Amino acid sequence: MSPNDLSLPAPRRDLRLPFGAALAVAACLAPLFLGNYALHAIIIALIFLLPAHGLNLLVGYTGLLSLAQAAFFGIGAYTSGLMAVRFGTPFYLNFLAAGLLAAAIALPLGIPALRLRATSFVMCTLGFVIIGQAIAKNWISLTRGDMGLSGIPKPYFALGPASFTISGTTSFYYLVLVIAVMATLAAYLIVRSAAGRNMVAIRENETLAESVGIPTWRYKLVVFMISAAFAGLGGSVYAHYLTVVSPLTFQMYYSTTMLIIVLGGGAGTISGVVFGSLLFVGLSEALRVAPEVRMIAYGFCLLALVFWFPKGFAPLIDRFWSFLRERK
Amino acid sequence: MVSAIFEQIVNGIVSGSVYAIVAVGMTMIFGVLRAINFAHGEYYMLGTFGAWFAIEYFDLPYPVAIVIGVVATAVIAVVVGQFVMQRIVGAPPETGVLATLGIALVLQNTVILVFGGGYKFFSGGYIEPVSIFGFTLAEQRVLIIIVCILVFVGLELMVTYSRMGKAMRAVSQNIECCAVVGIDVPQVALRTFILGACLAALSGVLTAPVNVSVYGGMGEIITFKTLPVIIMGGLGNVRGTFFAAMILGIAESLVATYVGLQFRDTVGFATLMLVLMWRPHGLFSAQARF
Repeated sequence: MSPNDLSLPAPRRDLRLPFGAALAVAACLAPLFLGNYALHAIIIALIFLLPAHGLNLLVGYTGLLSLAQAAFFGIGAYTSGLMAVRFGTPFYLNFLAAGLLAAAIALPLGIPALRLRATSFVMCTLGFVIIGQAIAKNWISLTRGDMGLSGIPKPYFALGPASFTISGTTSFYYLVLVIAVMATLAAYLIVRSAAGRNMVAIRENETLAESVGIPTWRYKLVVFMISAAFAGLGGSVYAHYLTVVSPLTFQMYYSTTMLIIVLGGGAGTISGVVFGSLLFVGLSEALRVAPEVRMIAYGFCLLALVFWFPKGFAPLIDRFWSFLRERK
Repeated sequence: MVSAIFEQIVNGIVSGSVYAIVAVGMTMIFGVLRAINFAHGEYYMLGTFGAWFAIEYFDLPYPVAIVIGVVATAVIAVVVGQFVMQRIVGAPPETGVLATLGIALVLQNTVILVFGGGYKFFSGGYIEPVSIFGFTLAEQRVLIIIVCILVFVGLELMVTYSRMGKAMRAVSQNIECCAVVGIDVPQVALRTFILGACLAALSGVLTAPVNVSVYGGMGEIITFKTLPVIIMGGLGNVRGTFFAAMILGIAESLVATYVGLQFRDTVGFATLMLVLMWRPHGLFSAQARF
């Protein structure tokens, strides 16, 4: 090593601000350049972003591996769909109700489940999905069973005398974009707060966290409820976008997809989850990959993530960036 | 009335035997690898598909199809074991969960991709009814019960007396000490895994004539039913698994008849959660081992 190398490296330009601004402009202008199908792909990706943010708080920050996201996603979808079909309530009410109900149901489910450790907790959360599906199939007077709910209206807003409906793909895109940005901001604020740091402490060493006075049990319960709320909100948007809900919303498929988004993007990072949902859901939707092929790819991704990229695929992109920069 | 209940119990024992053969492999794999194999039902599916393929495309008789189904699964299990399961030894629990979930996705969807997602008709097996103690029961169901008993007696003997069985018990107690005294831990893990996968396949092939239909997603349901069984039985406990499987089979059968068919598939997970909450170490283990 020559003496010259001992000098401090040139300060790296912080690219986040310009990059973020470019992304924001691109997101706002996207409908001008993209066709309806590509927009549809992005909408789906942004919808999945909500439960993925919730799961990230749970898996990435608090260190609890959960498969229950699909259950709360389904609860949100059914809540929203039922309210819209039965009572004709405006979208924002359904949306909030879906989130609140999912969180409320997460409380009694979380109290026993969170007492379990590691693998047992995973199995218990898997059970929520299975039982959720059974309830959706069998409580026919409420959910119409296997037929599902159809004809859920597109989101409409009613503020005083004015009301408008969001029907086209482009306007739905903007609605979902606003919701996704707000959710990302919410997740960011949670993570940056003192509570977020306490969550990381629980992930790293629960006993130690407890010994320095963090109420770990309450934290885990609240995070479980918040993650359920995120999933419920996502389910609500999903129901209004597809206009149908069926018991198949309670499926391992959704839990797996959310898990892939979080782990593949990089658990414990907000940007990683955004990147993950665009990559794993948006891209595969845009390329019209057959569901079987997608699931096979997800399976291999899971294996690769577990054994080779425990931090997700985001670091690869980072390395690619710095590789490009050094070549200049 | 009494005989109707009794008939349901016999049916429950048959499905309990099916679960038992699958679950015992899963519980042994857990004992050695400390990982729940979320892909276990997929080997059941692979075995069934192997046999279905042999019958449908090569017109082979059912007994040969059984062998083909099991051998085909064993080959896949060797590959999966070499590349994935051996790496799980000593890894944190999340690794096992995620890796086996990944395998489940790959195996299940590959089969759906190759053979299509629809239901297929499984022709073969011994469906002639026989009468035992005044009951009429399809021969195949009798065969399932007999095979189940043979498997459990065989496993009990193997685990107690054979070198391999002793090695398995040693690994399930302390991996470091095994390495010190020269037990090849990855090899034991691999063999246990292959044995477990083959048992699942065997169970699948034996059940196929009873279920008649074969489809790519069938493994997932079996995984979901096996999880409660191994938890109830106490993870790693072979004998406990047998009783737990019988309890689940009989309970399902009674629920299906007297409560409603649609609730059958929730019995398992409802019991699973109750057991996890009150006796997390299972009904048949004296104390928590894991």
